Amino acid sequence: MSEALIDALNPALFWEYRLVLLRGLAFNAYVFFAAATVALVVGLAAALLRVNRAWPFRMLGTLHVEVFRNAPDYIMVIWVHFVLPLLLGKLIGQRIEFSPFVSAVIALGFVYSGYFAETFRAGIQSIPQGHLDAGRACGMGETAILWRIVLPQVVRRMLPEAVNQFVSLFKATTIVSLIAVPDLMYQVSMVTQQEMRPLPLYTGAAVTYFVVIYVVAGSVRGLSERWRNKIYA
Amino acid sequence: MSNWERLVWNQRGLLLQGLAVTVEICAIAFAMAIVGGLVLCLVRLHVRPLRPAAIALIEFFRATPIFVQLMWVNYVWPELFGWPNSFFTSGWVALGLQSSGYLAETFRAGIEAVPKGHREAGYSVGMSPFQVYRRIVLPETLLTVAPSIVNQFTVIVKSSTLVSVITVPDLMLQAMKLVNIWYEPIEVLTATAAIYIGVVFLVSTAGKALADFQRRRFGLNAT
Amino acid sequence: MDAVPAIRVVDLRKSFGALEVLRGVSFDVHRGSVVSMIGASGSGKSTLLRCINRLERPSAGEVFIDGEPMGGPVTASGERKERPLKDINRMRRDLGMVFQQFNLWPHMTVIGNVIEAPLRVRRMSRKDAIQLAEECLARVHLSEKGKEYPARLSGGQMQRVAIARALAMQPKAMLFDEPTSSLDPELTDEVLTVMRELAADGTTMIVVTHEMAFARDASDRVLFLHNGQIEEEGPPDQVFGQPRSERCRQFLSKKLQ
Repeated sequence: MSEALIDALNPALFWEYRLVLLRGLAFNAYVFFAAATVALVVGLAAALLRVNRAWPFRMLGTLHVEVFRNAPDYIMVIWVHFVLPLLLGKLIGQRIEFSPFVSAVIALGFVYSGYFAETFRAGIQSIPQGHLDAGRACGMGETAILWRIVLPQVVRRMLPEAVNQFVSLFKATTIVSLIAVPDLMYQVSMVTQQEMRPLPLYTGAAVTYFVVIYVVAGSVRGLSERWRNKIYA
Repeated sequence: MSNWERLVWNQRGLLLQGLAVTVEICAIAFAMAIVGGLVLCLVRLHVRPLRPAAIALIEFFRATPIFVQLMWVNYVWPELFGWPNSFFTSGWVALGLQSSGYLAETFRAGIEAVPKGHREAGYSVGMSPFQVYRRIVLPETLLTVAPSIVNQFTVIVKSSTLVSVITVPDLMLQAMKLVNIWYEPIEVLTATAAIYIGVVFLVSTAGKALADFQRRRFGLNAT
Repeated sequence: MDAVPAIRVVDLRKSFGALEVLRGVSFDVHRGSVVSMIGASGSGKSTLLRCINRLERPSAGEVFIDGEPMGGPVTASGERKERPLKDINRMRRDLGMVFQQFNLWPHMTVIGNVIEAPLRVRRMSRKDAIQLAEECLARVHLSEKGKEYPARLSGGQMQRVAIARALAMQPKAMLFDEPTSSLDPELTDEVLTVMRELAADGTTMIVVTHEMAFARDASDRVLFLHNGQIEEEGPPDQVFGQPRSERCRQFLSKKLQ
């Protein structure tokens, strides 16, 4: 047992493969940033649908939110990777395939757009009607009101929750290894197969993810709090 | 015979078997998460010497991705502790650990949300601190956090899809098996996704209904 | 009047850090009498009440319940022994407390709130506790509300349940901490009516209040607190009729406008 423990905590093997593993971690970051962009754009669109005056739009927005918020990340990644290209292919009458990276970004982006849509909506609805009236009274158009009055306040209000969702999204990027995106977990499983020593490698991966997430999430939370305080002070 | 009938309806036995395994592993993980979360929370709040250890565990469980934790428990724990001895056990242990970290923080928020006056009312009729805790603070906390606990169950169900990776025969694994037999993924995977979304939707709707009920019945707002 | 007062407060002091909230307060409450405590907010009234049943620990001074010191008896050698929490809990049972915020337990029904302490603290049988609770609820005119949860009640009803809960311990005295301050004006009367009835039944009461009419008509003595000290005290006729202290006169003229 003590030998196993020393082995588990021995970073030598992890260190030996540091370049490969680091390149893997970079892939987590790529997937994260691309999926976050998709999630924000699609999420905002869905939120605007949900606060629309016309009920068919509202229904559509609600459907989007309910489907993606209740969908497990993993099944969505698999579905987008294996089913979506076939469906699109039938639609345009041509065989298409997604690279694992593209599938991962679409799947995670859409799943998290469901969460972001709710956060955006709560933010939008927290803005008093008076602010909109004041904008209209000054003769601003609806688009100008959205960009200049609503969104800046929404962003500040939704920041703490959004940070939590970004953290969840980053954690979810670890499953893209399952469709062979070469992220850190993928590299770890490859090296494990070569070396037959899962102990130090998986412990190393767990510790690495923990440190990255804990440190980055902590500092982003701190920064966003300071920024909010400055504005609301 | 349509593909849906051939690939999904005729395989319903297999899929339902998988769903049963999913429900089973989620239920065990959920029970572990509630007990583990409560213990971690109480240790953190009331056992001074163990406080740093409890905080470290809570933060570790919360900040580590579930897939990484699952791999870690599955590959590292058996060599380290000689346990878990089955993939199924690794699965619910990893799911339970993750959620116990989250629930520990939920419980703490709930305990801290009990107004001081409710405790003082207990002291003023002569209840002992232990009685106040057991009869007032904990029941009130459990009530306020009940919707959040239900919500955590949806997280467990979603994460449970990953136990298929370590060959636990859950719904996800059965679906993948069917895909690998015929290489016709559209119907099977769509149906599987729909089942998961439906189950999670039902659970989260139940959570919302519970929160509504509480607000009406007890005037409590969920934390 | 008895030789031993139901509650005797001797030179009670309380500081929060550098802030001195109570600077030596002494008074007696005799059995069956009603003492009203008035004064501006921040004058120390609520702290005084909370010190009496030791929800706050006084910095100095002593409170005697039926002659028994709440803080701890003094031994022959002149040392004061701090009372263990268990004893304080036992003595607290003799003091029913009613809070400004009601503090009903939201997860228990009305009857559940009232029987909790008789069951768990006095270890009565469930049957006796329920019978007692029904009597207490009848005294506050809420017999029909036993099975409701507090969230369904109005503020005035909640406060009356809180009074019933305190009565169910059959305390030697009742302490009221601004019982009507968080109620809408139209709901204060139902609570004050119950309190007047208790007073008329001979309940020993200390009432911290902003309701001058109640202090004047329903109490035997009125204390006016200012800056943590008793600035004026006497029968209501005297305090309201010819207050000796200038501050008390100012306070009352503002309140009675």
